Amino acid sequence: MKKTTLILALVMTTGSLFAQKKTTTSAVISFDATTAIDALPKADNKTAIASLDTKTGKLAFEVTIKNFAFSNPRIQEHFNAEGWMNSDKFPTATFKGDIKNLKDVNFGKDGSYKVTVAGEITIHGVTKPIESTGTIVVSGSKIKATSDFKIKLEDFNVNGGAIAAGKVSKEPAISVNAEF
Amino acid sequence: MTGNKKRSGIKKWLIAAVILLLAAVAVLWYLFTEKFDDTKTVKADYTVEAGAFMQEFKKDIRQANAKYTEKIIVVSGVISAIEMADTTANIKINDSLSGSYIIFAFQDQHLAEARALKAGDRVSIKGSCSGGNYSEILESEKIEFKRCTLTK
Repeated sequence: MKKTTLILALVMTTGSLFAQKKTTTSAVISFDATTAIDALPKADNKTAIASLDTKTGKLAFEVTIKNFAFSNPRIQEHFNAEGWMNSDKFPTATFKGDIKNLKDVNFGKDGSYKVTVAGEITIHGVTKPIESTGTIVVSGSKIKATSDFKIKLEDFNVNGGAIAAGKVSKEPAISVNAEF
Repeated sequence: MTGNKKRSGIKKWLIAAVILLLAAVAVLWYLFTEKFDDTKTVKADYTVEAGAFMQEFKKDIRQANAKYTEKIIVVSGVISAIEMADTTANIKINDSLSGSYIIFAFQDQHLAEARALKAGDRVSIKGSCSGGNYSEILESEKIEFKRCTLTK
C-alpha cells in the first residue's frame, strides 16, 4: 500500500514538474485605434487567458471584450455597442495557433527567441487566418511571450461612421503580452 | 426705424446661434474629455460575498450577467492568488471545487494596494463587473472585473 502511494506521488510530482501546457489568466492585450484627430480609442485588457504548450508549440488566447478598460466612458460604451464590437452577442475574441519555428526555441535555456506564430483569430464572430512575428523570452522557470501586429477592422465586419470620419483607425495596432 | 428693428432681430438670432454653438461645443468637450472616476469614490450598486456571487452565475449566467454587468460591485472573499506582471497586479478568488474564479484588474492608481496583498488575505474589492463567461482554454467559468480598488 505504502509502495503504491509512493509511486503515485512520484508520478504526480514528475508530471507537474514537466507539465508542458502553461496557462495564465493575466495576459495583457492592448489595442490602439487612435488617429491624428482622436486620441481616445485605445484600451487594455489585463485579464486575458493564454495557454502555451512548450512541446507542441500550440498557443491560444481568449479575451473578454467587455473587460477592455478605456479612460473615457463614452468611447467604452460605443466600443461595446451593437454597431461596433456588439459584446453582448460576441463576448470574446480568440486566437488559436502554433509557433511555426518551434525548433528555434529552447524552453530549457534562458534567452530571447524570435518566433513566427500562425493560426486563426476570431473577432466579432468572424474568423480569419493570421500570421505574426513575436518574441519569447525564457528566464528561469518564467516564459514571456509578446507580439505586436495590426488587424483590418473591415475584415471582421466592424464598420462605423467614426472610421469613415477618421476618428478611429482602420487598422488598429494590437499588442499581446503573456507571462507564463 | 424698420432697418434698425431688422438689424436688432438679426443680432438676437446671431447671439442665440453663438450661445447654442458654444453649448454644443461644451457638451461635446465634456463627453470626449470625460474620464472614469476613481472607483474608490464611486458608490457601489451591490455588495456580495465571493462564494455566493459565483453560485449566482453558476445557477443562471444569463440572469447574473443582466444583473451585474457594468455595475460597480464590492466583492468580499479570501485571495487565492495574485498574478503580477510589469503593469498589472490581478487578484484572484477561486472556487477550488469547480475551478471557476473571479479576477480583479486594479485601476492604475491603486496597483500598489494589490501588490501589497498576499494569498490568504481576506479582502473587500470594489470594481466594475464585466460579467461572466466560459473559458474553453481553462474549461471553467470566470467573472472579470476592471478598474478595481480595495475598500478595506
